[in-house]
Amino acid sequence: MIDLVIIGAGPAGLGAAISAAENGLEVYILDEFVKPGGRLLGQLHEEPDGKWVNGIAEAEKLYKRAIQLGVNIRCGVSVYDLMKLDQGWCVYTTDNVMECKCLLLATGASETPIPIPGWTLPGVMSIGAAQVMGNVHRVKPGKKGIIIGVNVLSAAIARELQLCGVHIESILLPQPNLLSGDAANPEKMMESLLRLSHLAPSALIRFGGKWVSPKLGARLYPKNGFKMWDIPIQLRKSALEILGEKQVEGVRVAEITANGEVVSGTEKVVSVDFVCIAGGLAPLSELAAVAGCSFRFVPELGGHVPLHNEYMQTNLTGLYVAGNITGVESAKVARAQGTAAGLSIARELNALADHADEKIEAAIMEVMETRKNALIQFQPGIEEARKKLYSEFYETSEKASMI
Amino acid sequence: MNSMRVDNHPVFGSLEKRKNITIYFDDQPYAAYEGDTIASALLASGVRTLRCHEDKGTPRGIYCNIGHCFECRVRVHGQNTVRACLTPVENKMRIESGILATASFKGGKL
Amino acid sequence: MGDNETVICRCEEITLKEIKETIERYQCSAREVKLRTRAGMGPCGGRTCRCMIDRLVEQLGGPSISNEISLSYRPPVRPVSFGVLGGDVK
Ligand SMILES: Cc1cc2nc3c(=O)[nH]c(=O)nc-3n(C[C@H](O)[C@H](O)[C@H](O)COP(=O)(O)OP(=O)(O)OC[C@H]3O[C@@H](n4cnc5c(N)ncnc54)[C@H](O)[C@@H]3O)c2cc1C
Ligand code: FES
Ligand code: FES
Repeated sequence: MIDLVIIGAGPAGLGAAISAAENGLEVYILDEFVKPGGRLLGQLHEEPDGKWVNGIAEAEKLYKRAIQLGVNIRCGVSVYDLMKLDQGWCVYTTDNVMECKCLLLATGASETPIPIPGWTLPGVMSIGAAQVMGNVHRVKPGKKGIIIGVNVLSAAIARELQLCGVHIESILLPQPNLLSGDAANPEKMMESLLRLSHLAPSALIRFGGKWVSPKLGARLYPKNGFKMWDIPIQLRKSALEILGEKQVEGVRVAEITANGEVVSGTEKVVSVDFVCIAGGLAPLSELAAVAGCSFRFVPELGGHVPLHNEYMQTNLTGLYVAGNITGVESAKVARAQGTAAGLSIARELNALADHADEKIEAAIMEVMETRKNALIQFQPGIEEARKKLYSEFYETSEKASMI
Repeated sequence: MNSMRVDNHPVFGSLEKRKNITIYFDDQPYAAYEGDTIASALLASGVRTLRCHEDKGTPRGIYCNIGHCFECRVRVHGQNTVRACLTPVENKMRIESGILATASFKGGKL
Repeated sequence: MGDNETVICRCEEITLKEIKETIERYQCSAREVKLRTRAGMGPCGGRTCRCMIDRLVEQLGGPSISNEISLSYRPPVRPVSFGVLGGDVK
């Protein structure tokens, strides 16, 4: 039986494979994408010191190290079901069925949509789709586009698309409706933009400095928005409808008040050939659900996450989780979580020789350190939410062991 | 040069030369590069519509581009529900936009 | 506004209007919305629309989002052909 099967070759899965293989485990990674690296592949960030962090190069480093250690990586393989065995796990893939002693789910996150009329037209895609098209496949999602949804991800990817030679007409808010919640509220979006100031050094710091209170900021917000890397961010405009016969031809936009109401008579049509929807991220935990894990709903972590502890163990024997499936955070945090998971698994399989506990504790410290220094924080309050989650894990496992 | 391709990039640099191949989408030939996915190759040729909704007939293209939404499903060499965004192209690959009744998807099985 | 034109479940083309009416009429849970409208039963297995349905139910006075996953995931989480479902053990 294989020691460890990992589902997902993102930073978490690769990180775990490396630390597990370094301790002598036989490791297989399965991933349905065409190449290893997960969502790290599309990422491109400029650090405050002006250096670029190139996700493709980072992924390549992790991949090479894993291969060097003898890890088996299989791409283009989807996992569709899991089953607990008396000892270990059975993994059903589109290629074959595999049995392993320990199983790690590192399936990452998926995007949450913002539905608006016309969003099924060809040419409308999630913001991540455009990122992968441009940065990974090196094909432009279109020539000229509008991004609906103002958040960390949409601002970062707008910039990346610009570097691909794509013209971004503007980033604006979704139409206010039952589902848009805060995303259609200029004040709330102003708050989240201020959390971004380290990413858009010049424009936002200047902007944030001028109007410190989000409330005031949203009200005084210039009608034409402000520019970040020359891309207009319009907190006082919203997208009402995407237009087109067979594919995207334009977007109907209108001005909105500071609390998000459409100002009548301000509608106009902007012509574009693609539209990106940026609704945010949520942990992709479907495999943990079919495996039978317990769940917790934790908004700070992006939604439902499998109950787990800092050792990355779930409430099911031999089943571990790492990366964005445990909560939406940056790639570096995912990788550090992977390392910790790989070591915990090595310990469970008695492969961690000397100083096992010390090694694991150091890896957990590293996760917390990385979290503290993360350039991108998807939500506030991650650390507190995690503390609470871990203590719930121990409470429930204590209860279970008393029965 | 194809204006939809990002051959040169200020940070990633220029792409190495890749092998030119031909794929067929609903019997029309399209140029593609080895290493493209079906979705990226077709988009580079300006093709956005990959299928029509089985009941409503509305046109659909890629949405998530990473295998989650199943909007990009096409038929390849007679096989249904192939995700164009996850499938690498091959020379002379025959891809069809496919007409499927939703009934065959019940329970997620085919 | 535009409820009739706003598709919530892309796979089954179920609109905001249909889902809203179902929730209001039957005062029901996300699971019941799924059974009544087919929203969430498409090829993506509800991956795209489930969070919107949960949210709508909550917004319209139904049960609020809890620790439990209301629209349970069922295998296969990716559609597979019957040939594959048989697979050999490695
Ligand atoms: C579209 C998008 C854009 C992002 N952009 C940024 C960004 O710019 N900066 C940033 O810091 N973070 C970004 N993130 C957050 C990102 O999730 C983390 O940075 C990091 O990549 C998470 O690592 P991971 O290993 O947990 O998951 P991922 O990197 O997402 O890897 C998960 C892998 O699992 C595979 N997988 C999932 N399910 C299955 C299955 N059933 N069978 C087989 N394989 C499966 C996937 O194909 C994928 O390759 C983004 C996330 C998304 C979704
Ligand atoms: S575009 Fe979503 S699965 Fe291919
Ligand atoms: S979008 Fe609703 S089931 Fe796929």
